[in-house]
Amino acid sequence: MLATDTIVALSTPVGESALAIIRLSGPLCSEIEMAICGRSKSLEPRRATLCKYIDVNGLEIDTGVYIAYPENASFTNEAMLEIMPHGNPLIIQKLLEDLITRGCRMAEPGEFTRRAFLNGKIDLSQAEAVADMIHARSNFSLEVARRQLNGSIGQKMSELTDQLLEILAELEAYIDFPEEDLPEASDAGPIHDLSRLIQQVNDLIETHHYSALLQEGIKTVIIGAPNAGKSSLINTLVGSQRAIVSDIPGTTRDFITSYIMLKDYRVEIIDTAGLHTAEDEIEQQGIKKTMELAQNADFYLVIVDHCQPSPSLPDSIQAEFNSKNTLVIENKIDLESKHSQKEFLADCQHCPISLKTHTGIDDFKEAMLKLIDQGIALPKGTDAIVLNARHTLALKQAKISLEKALEGVHSQELNELVSVELRSAIEGFSQVVGKIENDAMLDKLFQKFCIGK
Amino acid sequence: MSAHPLFHLDKAYDVIVCGAGHAGCEAALASARRGASTLLLTGNLDTIAQMSCNPAIGGQAKGHMVREIDALGGEMAMNTDATAIQFRLLNASKGPAVQAPRAQCDKKAYQFRMKQSIEWQDNLDVFQALVDELVMNNGRVVGIKTNLDVEFKAKTVIVTTGTFLRGLMHVGQNKNEGGRMGDFSAKGLSKSFIEAGIELERLKTGTPARILGRTIDFSQLEEQKADEKPTLFGFYDTRSPEELFHVEHYGEKRLGWAPGSEPMSCWTTYTGADTEAIIKANLHLSPMYSGEIVGRGPRYCPSIEDKIVRFSDKDRHMLFLEPEGRHTNEWYINGLSTSLPLAVQIEMLRSIKGLENVHILRPAYAVEYDFAPPTQLYPSLESKKVENLFFAGQINGTSGYEEAAGQGLVAGVNAVQKVRGEEAMVLGRDECYIGVLIDDLVSKGTQEPYRMFSSRAEHRLLFNHPSAELRLLKHAKKHKLLKDSRIKAIEEKQQTIEHWVKYLEKEYHKGDSYATHVRRSRDKSSFPEDLAGLSEAVQDEVFYRVAFKGYLQREMKQVDKLKHIDKIKVPQSLDYAKVKGLRAESGEKLAEIQPQTLGQASRISGVNPADISILMVTIEAMSRKAAEAKKAKKA
Repeated sequence: MLATDTIVALSTPVGESALAIIRLSGPLCSEIEMAICGRSKSLEPRRATLCKYIDVNGLEIDTGVYIAYPENASFTNEAMLEIMPHGNPLIIQKLLEDLITRGCRMAEPGEFTRRAFLNGKIDLSQAEAVADMIHARSNFSLEVARRQLNGSIGQKMSELTDQLLEILAELEAYIDFPEEDLPEASDAGPIHDLSRLIQQVNDLIETHHYSALLQEGIKTVIIGAPNAGKSSLINTLVGSQRAIVSDIPGTTRDFITSYIMLKDYRVEIIDTAGLHTAEDEIEQQGIKKTMELAQNADFYLVIVDHCQPSPSLPDSIQAEFNSKNTLVIENKIDLESKHSQKEFLADCQHCPISLKTHTGIDDFKEAMLKLIDQGIALPKGTDAIVLNARHTLALKQAKISLEKALEGVHSQELNELVSVELRSAIEGFSQVVGKIENDAMLDKLFQKFCIGK
Repeated sequence: MSAHPLFHLDKAYDVIVCGAGHAGCEAALASARRGASTLLLTGNLDTIAQMSCNPAIGGQAKGHMVREIDALGGEMAMNTDATAIQFRLLNASKGPAVQAPRAQCDKKAYQFRMKQSIEWQDNLDVFQALVDELVMNNGRVVGIKTNLDVEFKAKTVIVTTGTFLRGLMHVGQNKNEGGRMGDFSAKGLSKSFIEAGIELERLKTGTPARILGRTIDFSQLEEQKADEKPTLFGFYDTRSPEELFHVEHYGEKRLGWAPGSEPMSCWTTYTGADTEAIIKANLHLSPMYSGEIVGRGPRYCPSIEDKIVRFSDKDRHMLFLEPEGRHTNEWYINGLSTSLPLAVQIEMLRSIKGLENVHILRPAYAVEYDFAPPTQLYPSLESKKVENLFFAGQINGTSGYEEAAGQGLVAGVNAVQKVRGEEAMVLGRDECYIGVLIDDLVSKGTQEPYRMFSSRAEHRLLFNHPSAELRLLKHAKKHKLLKDSRIKAIEEKQQTIEHWVKYLEKEYHKGDSYATHVRRSRDKSSFPEDLAGLSEAVQDEVFYRVAFKGYLQREMKQVDKLKHIDKIKVPQSLDYAKVKGLRAESGEKLAEIQPQTLGQASRISGVNPADISILMVTIEAMSRKAAEAKKAKKA
């Protein structure tokens, strides 16, 4: 029962690592292997070979180790290919996209094992275990998807699905009801609606790299003078979350990184060297690194001593701060102060706290959560986040179809051919939001048009 | 002619068909033509194949189905060609896949000719009787009982009773029992079904008024003429001359005229502000609005009340006046279905341009009727509840003559398969609209009278109407639905087409392949001379396959991807409740529908890919276990 299509999946966990493994199974393996390695000959079976990865546009994306397994001598009993690229999420994403463009499809949860079973590689006694595994994995991914789709992404997706169905309904009305007294067909409407939809799908896709942000943690940098209370702040944040904290001494950086969970978000907290004009060379280097780090962060906690004059920050760092990604923490409010911090980063919200008396901590956390919820550092006008690589790939495919549809409308292509592209976009959408029945389109059609000859 | 024995009362018929509408006629003919002894029962011999609603056959997706019926040896296509008074090709400016033939028919001529086809058919008895009851034995149907208390025995029974089951007609507050104005209502049968465990639900449909042509002021209307060149429904290039219009050959009667000649026109007019005012003032008298009608009506065919209320921004609604035939002055007014009282109907009609002095012959009415939700059927159209009982047509919740006829044909073929103990004919969703229709019905059911739309077919690009014969050849051949000579002719046509498609791709002309020229110009101007000399049917198909090659290949790839799960049969012994890992709600849905293949299972709403994955593993485990048991037994 050898399957007709080729599946692909990332077999290692998402996130940064030295190497990752991408697995393919199905008839396209050998064709793809030669194309991506730029070879005219197949790889020697079952032997690790170092090769380049060349994408469909002929660009070299990475170099990695490949192992090809011939049919009847692999885990699934189908031809298989294992690619071990560098474990950089961006590279992996590019590779997956490229493999899908070449005709692969993302594997369903547990599909490799299922294929192995169907092809007789796993014996009958394990049938139940296989079914259980499919069940567990799909439940897990359903749960993840459900959580994602419950929030603003879900809302956004259903809005976009609605728009897509409307566009299709409009087109279909003219195909299926040629004798009805429909309003004069014009291209302007569909062109406008399609362009808008493509823009929105694109915005959603663009937010994808923020998904890494949510999976790897929201990179939060604490900045402040050495005595402003940085360490106490970290202790307070981390200390109250002891159970799920893992302190990892920075290996490549001279900073201490801790992870905390703020509701559903994983937050990576990075302590920095104190920001003050330092004389000696070592301190200067620390400051330089802080500045580099600050420029790559997602979120900033700027802590100031309520009793001291407001610090002055280097312009290059100050430029990173805005009301969406920065909180100013005024520490030591249990003490009297002659200074006002009001003018310091006036655009950003200020949280008065006392780490000593534990005042204002909850309010501060709430403020931080609110900013994260509102989409820190997201591109302007984006209010939804695509979290999952699978969804992103499906949406990218949908976007390509939508662009072809738009091109079709522009060039006055036959409606039924434009419709093919739109339906394929619906296919992509349904991988994100679940089955979209044709009846949903008909509903829109009959709502919009008075049909009834 | 050989002596034709009268119907037999002692011996069981292979197939009894209850109802002689569009589904029943095709069912009876399909069964008899395959050599099975068949009895067709109708409550009224004079209404065989009556067009209860508009006098037209075909249209988008429906016209395609009629051609498919012809490709499977059915009668509807030729019957239409022989009795049509106007042919039009819809969507002529669009691509070949969505061009659809449509015809206005002479209503009486259509009926007469179909009646004659049935009367002349070998192995087929027709008899006027109202079926009152199923005769059952051990959960199987073994015959039927008529209202005259006569029983007929049968190996299989096909129910094609349309809207007649507890039909209730509404004209304003007035209610009459009956499945069609002037006809009766079948009450006994509903009871019999319920007793057999078959669930029934209510649907609603309607038909507009009929008016007298000489009271229409045609000078105020716009004319809609027939196409100059008719697009026929039947395939005549593959039929031998003796097969053409077979009925007309019996008794030396010939058609005597070319189909499409001397066409009649349709006319269009519009409702106006007055019409709207009259309807609005009387809305409360419409049983639809007073809540008296409970059955759900079709979204695609709303009453005029509905249109005015829901589309209040539209200041006029187009109406089509269609002639009912050559020998009558009765006209059908399309687009004006209503259940308002008669007096309001007359006032409303007279507010329409051109109808100021119109005389109404029959009022519009709404009809509510019982239907048996089709998820209770196998894809063969046999009932899951009662063995040997088949259902086809409007009783399955569909609407439309073509939908009915397509199901009738399939039920007729499959009843014979059942009698012979052979595997049912199941048409694929990727093969034809009839396949989409039946799969939708049995896998998803329907909430409203189901009408075919081209958008329901995932692969409609593969369904260009001239290819019906080629697409369905496999089934026609396997089940011997066509004469051998025609099968051979279709095969030859197929080969010719394939030859030329290859030729155009391969041969060069002015620096490019012929195919490139065709794709660039999207017309046949660059066809080589030899090809241009072949039949239009061949040329059109070659053109379509070459000009749209990219799209067609893409569709075919999609079909291939899905095909493997359509081939995996689901064992009927599978107990979904015991499948580990299957979500409970999916299990219930699957147990209710009892899909025959994994492909069908995947199309049931609420069943997700993970469920299919688990089923795949379960089925494989079952078959391996069975194989092991067999091996052990042998040893």
